[in-house]
Amino acid sequence: MAPAIAAEQLSKTFRVKVRIPGLRGALGALLRPRYRDVRAVRQVSFHIDPGEIVGFLGPNGAGKTTTLKMLTGLLYPTSGRVEVGGFAPWSGGADFKRRIALVLGNRQQLVWDLPPEETFQLNRAIYEIPGPAYRERLDELVTLLDLRDLLDKPVRQLSLGERMKCELAAALLHQPSILFLDEPTLGLDVTAQEGIRRFLTQYRDRHGATVLLTSHYMQDVTALASRVLIINGGRLLYDGALDALVARIARTKRLELVVGAGVTAESLAEFGDVKSFRFPNAVLEVPREAAPATSARLLAALPVVDLSIEDPPIEDVIRQAFAEGVGEGVAE
Amino acid sequence: MTTTTAGRGKREGGRVPRWLHVLAALWRLNVAEELQYRANFFASVLGTVFGIGTALLTLAVFFRHTTRLGGWDYWEVVVLLGVFNALTGVIEAVLRPGIGQLAGEVRSGQLDLVLSRPVDAQAFVSFRRLDIWRLTDVALGLGLAAYALHRLGHVPSALELAAFGVAFASAAVVVYAIWVVLMSLAFWLVAVENLSVLFDALYEGARYPVSAYPGVLRFVFVYLVPIAWTTTIPASALTGRLGPGIGLVAAAVAIAAFALARWLWQRALKRYTGASG
Amino acid sequence: MSGFGGWIRTYAALIRNAWLVDLQYRAAIGLWMLWGVTEPAIALGIWWAIAGAGPVAGYARGDFVRYFFALMLVNQLTIAWDSWYLDRWIREGDLNFRLARPLNPVHEAVADNIAYKARTGVVILAVWLLAAAVWPAARMPIQPTRWALAVLAVVGAAMMRFFISFATGLLAFWTTRATAIMELHAGVSLFLAGRIAPLALLPPAVAGIAGVLWFRYMLAFPIDLLTGAVPDGDALRRGFAGQIIWLAIWFAAYRVAWSRGIRRYGAVGG
Repeated sequence: MAPAIAAEQLSKTFRVKVRIPGLRGALGALLRPRYRDVRAVRQVSFHIDPGEIVGFLGPNGAGKTTTLKMLTGLLYPTSGRVEVGGFAPWSGGADFKRRIALVLGNRQQLVWDLPPEETFQLNRAIYEIPGPAYRERLDELVTLLDLRDLLDKPVRQLSLGERMKCELAAALLHQPSILFLDEPTLGLDVTAQEGIRRFLTQYRDRHGATVLLTSHYMQDVTALASRVLIINGGRLLYDGALDALVARIARTKRLELVVGAGVTAESLAEFGDVKSFRFPNAVLEVPREAAPATSARLLAALPVVDLSIEDPPIEDVIRQAFAEGVGEGVAE
Repeated sequence: MTTTTAGRGKREGGRVPRWLHVLAALWRLNVAEELQYRANFFASVLGTVFGIGTALLTLAVFFRHTTRLGGWDYWEVVVLLGVFNALTGVIEAVLRPGIGQLAGEVRSGQLDLVLSRPVDAQAFVSFRRLDIWRLTDVALGLGLAAYALHRLGHVPSALELAAFGVAFASAAVVVYAIWVVLMSLAFWLVAVENLSVLFDALYEGARYPVSAYPGVLRFVFVYLVPIAWTTTIPASALTGRLGPGIGLVAAAVAIAAFALARWLWQRALKRYTGASG
Repeated sequence: MSGFGGWIRTYAALIRNAWLVDLQYRAAIGLWMLWGVTEPAIALGIWWAIAGAGPVAGYARGDFVRYFFALMLVNQLTIAWDSWYLDRWIREGDLNFRLARPLNPVHEAVADNIAYKARTGVVILAVWLLAAAVWPAARMPIQPTRWALAVLAVVGAAMMRFFISFATGLLAFWTTRATAIMELHAGVSLFLAGRIAPLALLPPAVAGIAGVLWFRYMLAFPIDLLTGAVPDGDALRRGFAGQIIWLAIWFAAYRVAWSRGIRRYGAVGG
């Protein structure tokens, strides 16, 4: 099966004018402007199969958005090869654009002053969706996203969560096989975020769409993505399943305890790093290898009602990955 | 949440009122910012020179077919044009940047943030940004007026210059008062950036001496929307067309206009903060 | 887009959207129309005063009145703001989602213009008719053939001004000063296109330049056709020829600017 998205040694370099802060620097730049090369994406390679939901993680400025733009044909690569849905995105033309959808969390395509319905009708015309197919898909999306009450209100009167749902609907009317989402849950409350995640999984299950999403929110990734690509400094640091990443670089484990009477933070401190203590709950951090043994000692020494061994929060693991890299090698 | 008295005046025991401090700080930032964009400087000067050139050419077209415009000679009208440009420079440098933001703030609700600062709201909104490059307009405008006076063969006496100074300052105040009225309307009609379009349209009438217009328009421009007091009067003081006493009249008009505008602003602000509070 | 029907449906949807949005902003649009009317009104005021002593280069007071009313109408029907929108789209990232869909953004701009001009043109026409009802000087003899030709010229002028505006807006791919260039152009067109005075009142050399370049065909030519200031035959043919040539040139300029601009956008991003 041919991959839905294939990137090989993808690179992008920008030439940027150098700006020096302050009055003196500004005057200097006035007379003699200087440039430097910014290597935003460095030889990134990965394959994504049809129907996968892949998370794209990285701090700001890591090269996520630049890579995304190369995958959607907004930028052309400085070097390397990229193929999406069988097309080279930059030169794919209208045929390529009909097979993809791009949803940007911070920029919307819905017409601001009109009800979402008007944008849907516009997309129907632009993507040449036949009448019956349009009605069928609209019904499905309205049901899955719970849009019935929103369709006739002007977009500017909708909440951020409602707007994002309508954005997704607008983007999916033409049933793209590949969906690119850039920070889709940005700024949404928890309920809205969960709604979007649920919808994306359902949609993928029904239609087999490939989804690539970038996000800051770990829950997006843990809930949705089977696989995660981590980018930092333009390089692909990790490509594989999330739990494998955690296993590889997390050096600690967390013991989550419910303790009995008489246990204090001090009494726990000799077993490990006390992360939090709010009677009767406590969290202890211990080295990974020592976790089973320490648990046994704890249970023997103190009145522990409940104990479970957990991985550290994903955020910490990811942050570690950004900062230190992932150790030996990249791809799984 | 009224801010008109809090922080106003010498509350902190300093010699300089606080709002002036704040403005000075803002302006310092502005200047440092603006200096980064060298293109802005050249563009601004070029734009103004071009604007003056266009206006002079327009006058040339008119004067190809007449010797006097509303009773004014060619070089007298050029003096007026110089005053027009100088005044435009003041508007564009000091007023429009700050007030231009107001529309968006009323619409987005950010205005409450603006009003919550411990500075007089009107002063803050009006003067918070400085487009320093546009001050070149003032220099160019006054330079043009000086040259035109030379061609007229009229050297203004000290009294006439003083009268002009007062009249020009009054003109700036009158223009500011019109802006404040428009700003106040922003609290009722949220389209103030379009109301500024209205101002621009009316202000266009200030390019020519008010005597060039038919009677009804002349009445409007002198007594209702006092455009005449913005350019015609100061230019008349400078060329000696009107006696130096006109400076005092202009000052009186300016004070009246400002008082009226300020009152309207206070009413509008009270209504706005009362309504949303 | 497959076939004519597809294009019709797309444009219908685009125009409908633009029309409905304009409906929401009718107050602001009203004020912009007022602004568009002020400049000709002031110019008319000045020429009215000058022509009090007698006709100027063949233009009596009544001729000036008809000229400037025609100017108000033709300007409203041909003016193009697209350079400002494009500049903003490019700088603020609003171009990205438009580029990701299978429709060239230029069509959205064209549809916007059609909706806007239909709306405002009707208003200005109504204003003129009202003025003509009370003011004999504003009236014009009814000449259907001449008016039909004028409509052609107005459409041609609208298209040309659109491509000028769009092409200039595309300069935002290269410079932050695209709007300044548009303002430069607007400044020059102030008298080369006939906004300040009929071209016949300009020095002959200047009027000549206006006719050799595209400026005359922006406004002065359709206005003259409308007011009957273009004699039949040769002058008419040469006028239309000039307009067609410059329309073609600006269309080509837009095409070049678009392909080069997109290429540059793909290199340096938004």
